[in-house]
Amino acid sequence: MSERSRNKSRGKTTKLSSTVLVKGRGLWSKNAVPGVKVRGENLRKMEGDEWRNWSPRHSKLAAGILRTKQESSLLPFQGSQALYLGAGHGTTISHIHDHMCGVENEMGGSIVAVDVSPRCIRDLISLAKKRPGILPLLADARKPESLRPWLNGRVDWLFQDVSQAGQVDFFLDACEHFLAAEGIALLSLKSASERAVSGGSEEHYSNAAKAMEEVGLEVLEVIRLKGWEEQHALIIGCAPHDWK
Amino acid sequence: MRLSWDWRLARIFDDAGEVVDESIWDAGRKASTVAERLSLLSAGRQTDEARRLGERFPEAVATPIHELPDGWWPMMSDTEADLIQDATLLIAQAGVAAASSDPDRRLEHLVGAGDEIRASWTTIEARVIEWAGLFLPEIDLDARRNDIPKAIAVAESLDLAASSLETASSPTGISDSEWVALSQWAKGVVEIEERLQFVESAIREVAIVHLPSTSALIGPLLAARMSTAAHGRERLARLPSGTVQVLGAETSFFLHLRDGIPVPKHGHLFQHPWVSRSPRWIRGKVARMLSGKVSIAARLDAYGGDPWGAAEVELVEAKVADIRKRHPKPQR
Repeated sequence: MSERSRNKSRGKTTKLSSTVLVKGRGLWSKNAVPGVKVRGENLRKMEGDEWRNWSPRHSKLAAGILRTKQESSLLPFQGSQALYLGAGHGTTISHIHDHMCGVENEMGGSIVAVDVSPRCIRDLISLAKKRPGILPLLADARKPESLRPWLNGRVDWLFQDVSQAGQVDFFLDACEHFLAAEGIALLSLKSASERAVSGGSEEHYSNAAKAMEEVGLEVLEVIRLKGWEEQHALIIGCAPHDWK
Repeated sequence: MRLSWDWRLARIFDDAGEVVDESIWDAGRKASTVAERLSLLSAGRQTDEARRLGERFPEAVATPIHELPDGWWPMMSDTEADLIQDATLLIAQAGVAAASSDPDRRLEHLVGAGDEIRASWTTIEARVIEWAGLFLPEIDLDARRNDIPKAIAVAESLDLAASSLETASSPTGISDSEWVALSQWAKGVVEIEERLQFVESAIREVAIVHLPSTSALIGPLLAARMSTAAHGRERLARLPSGTVQVLGAETSFFLHLRDGIPVPKHGHLFQHPWVSRSPRWIRGKVARMLSGKVSIAARLDAYGGDPWGAAEVELVEAKVADIRKRHPKPQR
């Protein structure tokens, strides 16, 4: 086996945090509930710990992390407070939990996971019982006021993945309410749920980026998720130091 | 001066960020009471502590903790984090439980179950007719269609089934095992008919309460179908009538947008006799008028108006009659 192909099969390891690493093409998070899979993902022992595969096919955030050109990762700080709008069934949430809470929430993180569907919240409740630090809220992400009591101040990391028309408006609304100065805001934009425009997906992406800049957010990157998630982009915004 | 509060405490700050006064809620902190407080705050209400401080310092401006400068508001202790975790799970569980009593979700399953049963009924009923027809060569399969499954299901033998249907059985007869297979199949048809009736009577019961006006106008079964197609009563009420008119005709509607085939004139509304039993050239007109009335009825249902009764429905029926009278012939 040549040097080159051996490298590829083993894969170069880059640590994004103490609990998330990129190995070759795969993204892995250190399992906070060892031995338990959340959605049938692969488990693997590395350096004496158990890691869960974080698939870019099932998580737009994972796809964004693997494709970003940013120096720093797109992950929240460990042990901080994060707001996740459109939590779904909790696949991505479980990996964020691995990253910022750890076993029995040893890092003291808190992920406020909002979804409007009782079916999703049901799954999130069982997830949260095994993974303290996840706060499932059955609420409408379009009404930020109702989320207030759960957030102790502003958050450094806000993610929205709701796939519905007008999602940019209430993403910005949530940012104004809850994003801290120098916090990072990630918008997972589904162009197919917006009203059709002549420029197609690209026009939706640039419109959204423009809207973010208009309210004063700095747009760091527009990551197209094509190949993993069609007609989707992850737009990375950053609040300036004098934000709100 | 500012007044801020969360579920744990309320504080009065002066402009330099000094705590002028504070009131801490520490009596009886347990998950269920924290859950009550969180729900209260989520609805935009104040806690008792905040109210007390507000009365003491009427000049203080109520300020959400997110608007305070960094570091003013105290962090949560581990015990408090555990409490809010447990309380949040209680609230989420209550929310999920409340969803099961949502009539929209119940109708969704009832209507879906009805559709599935009807689809399987059509398939197995068609087979029993053709199958039995093989052994009852002289019977009129169209005229006796409704009687055949029942007769085969209850009879002990092919001859008895034939005589109860007043016809002759095939001279070659049927083997015992084949007869058992056939009559069991027929029993299945009869059973499924009954099951369909149970489902439909449940739909009627829910729809008449949940959608009284729409049910009065187009019948409870169709009302339930329209509401389910719109993903719930409130959304049906919010939809424009043009969308209500083509609910259920999504395939042809999107073919129209993509390929330019003619726009569908009606979706589920076609099931109503006012539409389907009108001459073809006025069905679109009737469907358009009716969709407007369905929108009004759905809004009455969703936003608590006085439900429609026979008098209002008669007015709509008169409009249908009027359309029919004004267009006796197709337009050339």
